[in-house]
Amino acid sequence: MDFSQQIPTRSVMSSTTSQRWRQLPWWLNPYLAMALAILFVPAAEMLLKRGAMATALHHSTVAGLGVDVLSSGWTWLAIVCYIANFTCWLHALRYLPLYLAFSLLSSTHALVPLGCWWFLGESISLGRWAGIAIVLVGVVVIAGPAMKAEERL
Amino acid sequence: MSASILLLCLASQFCLVTGQLLTKHAMNATNLSPKPWAQIVGRLSLGIVVLTGWFFIWAGLLQKKDLSYVFPFEGLSPVLIVLGASVFLREKPMWKAWLGVALISLGIAVVAAS
Repeated sequence: MDFSQQIPTRSVMSSTTSQRWRQLPWWLNPYLAMALAILFVPAAEMLLKRGAMATALHHSTVAGLGVDVLSSGWTWLAIVCYIANFTCWLHALRYLPLYLAFSLLSSTHALVPLGCWWFLGESISLGRWAGIAIVLVGVVVIAGPAMKAEERL
Repeated sequence: MSASILLLCLASQFCLVTGQLLTKHAMNATNLSPKPWAQIVGRLSLGIVVLTGWFFIWAGLLQKKDLSYVFPFEGLSPVLIVLGASVFLREKPMWKAWLGVALISLGIAVVAAS
């Protein structure tokens, strides 16, 4: 499958889309949408975990799939957060390249464990924290120069 | 980590990355003039179906394991996304993006070993 059909080349995309978002009102800034999309992830994940824990004793009829989590209200709250996340994400994707947007979204790898530890009382070993920190450095290495390049355009 | 958990983690990653590529493809098309609505709606719908598949596989994993245990495996997705965006969307990430991907992979290895 060739997804690149009918898509302008990157040089055309980056100049035209960057100029376009600068003319939008501040509340449509794609980086603001990215920030909101990021914050909705730990909220959704922790609500889904609550829903999954509330339904863990029921055994799903569909092997391996968590369809029965839908019987918990926590799960539906999680779904609302996922929809809000997805709406913000779609807006950001109109203007930012996928590799950059997804790298920014990877900062949830720090926010989710922090939320698990803070709100759900899950324990995280020092080694796991170190791994998460290295992942975050990777995210900064990808996102930092790309965002500076966006600013220059 | 058992083979079935690993397989479910990989299946969820495949659905997540494929869904995101389809979604980005659809949103790229919204910048075209005139907008190819049939293509936008088709790709976005397919993307949402695939991401729904990811959601249920992920929910199944959360029923079995702690969130902090399975979530680090989501760290594979930036690597797969950069590869997928380069190959299928013809995005051209800078060389530092590949360095960042290597760090993310290293981080995942450290997490898995801990």
